[in-house]
Amino acid sequence: MSAGTICRCWLALLILLALTTGSAFIPLGTANLFVSLGIAVTKALIVLLFFMELKTSSALVRVFAAAGFFWLMIMIALTTADYTHRTDQRVPLDQVR
Amino acid sequence: MAEETLGFQYSTLQQERETVTLGMWAFLATEVLFFGALIAAYFSYRIWFGAEFIAAAKMTKVALGTANTAVLLTSSACMAMAVTTHEAGSRRAPVLWLTATALLGLSFVVIKGTEWFLEYQEHLVPALNFDLARHGGVAEIFFIFYFCATGLHALHLLIGICLVCWLAFAIGTGRLKPGSTTRLIGLYWHFVDIVWIFLFPLIYLAGRNG
Repeated sequence: MSAGTICRCWLALLILLALTTGSAFIPLGTANLFVSLGIAVTKALIVLLFFMELKTSSALVRVFAAAGFFWLMIMIALTTADYTHRTDQRVPLDQVR
Repeated sequence: MAEETLGFQYSTLQQERETVTLGMWAFLATEVLFFGALIAAYFSYRIWFGAEFIAAAKMTKVALGTANTAVLLTSSACMAMAVTTHEAGSRRAPVLWLTATALLGLSFVVIKGTEWFLEYQEHLVPALNFDLARHGGVAEIFFIFYFCATGLHALHLLIGICLVCWLAFAIGTGRLKPGSTTRLIGLYWHFVDIVWIFLFPLIYLAGRNG
């Protein structure tokens, strides 16, 4: 990896950081969460592909790298699907004590 | 550690490089799930408690958090420079880049510690001095998540700082020749950076415009 690539990645990461922090203060409703997560995924991809050299790694290494994130997606997708579809009443936490 | 000599179990340097990289990624995949469970918990709390949970996130220090993210992203760039210069055969350059990486990592921990101290003063630390009457139960759940996530992340970073210091020392004294060790520690460091890339928007940016 050349010093130029590293420098460009670093600049891109800092610009994305400024964008994500700035976007958080603009009222977009639930879109705020998706904008910030989208930027986080972009930043992570820059680190994964360039700094962690997945761009030039063998297919086997990439599969290993993808496996952890793949199972994570299953865990988060099923957990959030469960919690978004619960209909039972929640007792306010302060009343429980 | 003799890096130039090939391990007895390998037939080529390329094979050794592939194998150790694969091993490191297998370890990192377990770490993805480790931090991933925390993040899944965050999402279920956020859905379950809704606005109250997001309001609690607003009590975190967004300026310090943003500065810390910039510090950590820069440390990753320094780490990448250390790996590149070391593989190019330089000895002085990687030591300097690694020193920068360790110092930036340390700055992160100091800033994080400052935040924790401010939160202690605001009675936001569960099990120590959390003011339930003032902040409410959902905020306590948020701060339990917050201290678990940032604490475990800081622990990983401290381990990384120790590894980077050892690496700088080993390269500086000439005990470590260019090889896979620098790249493996680099992978670990970048991974800790990625964890923070996801923790940052979830912890600091939730509910900022409400």
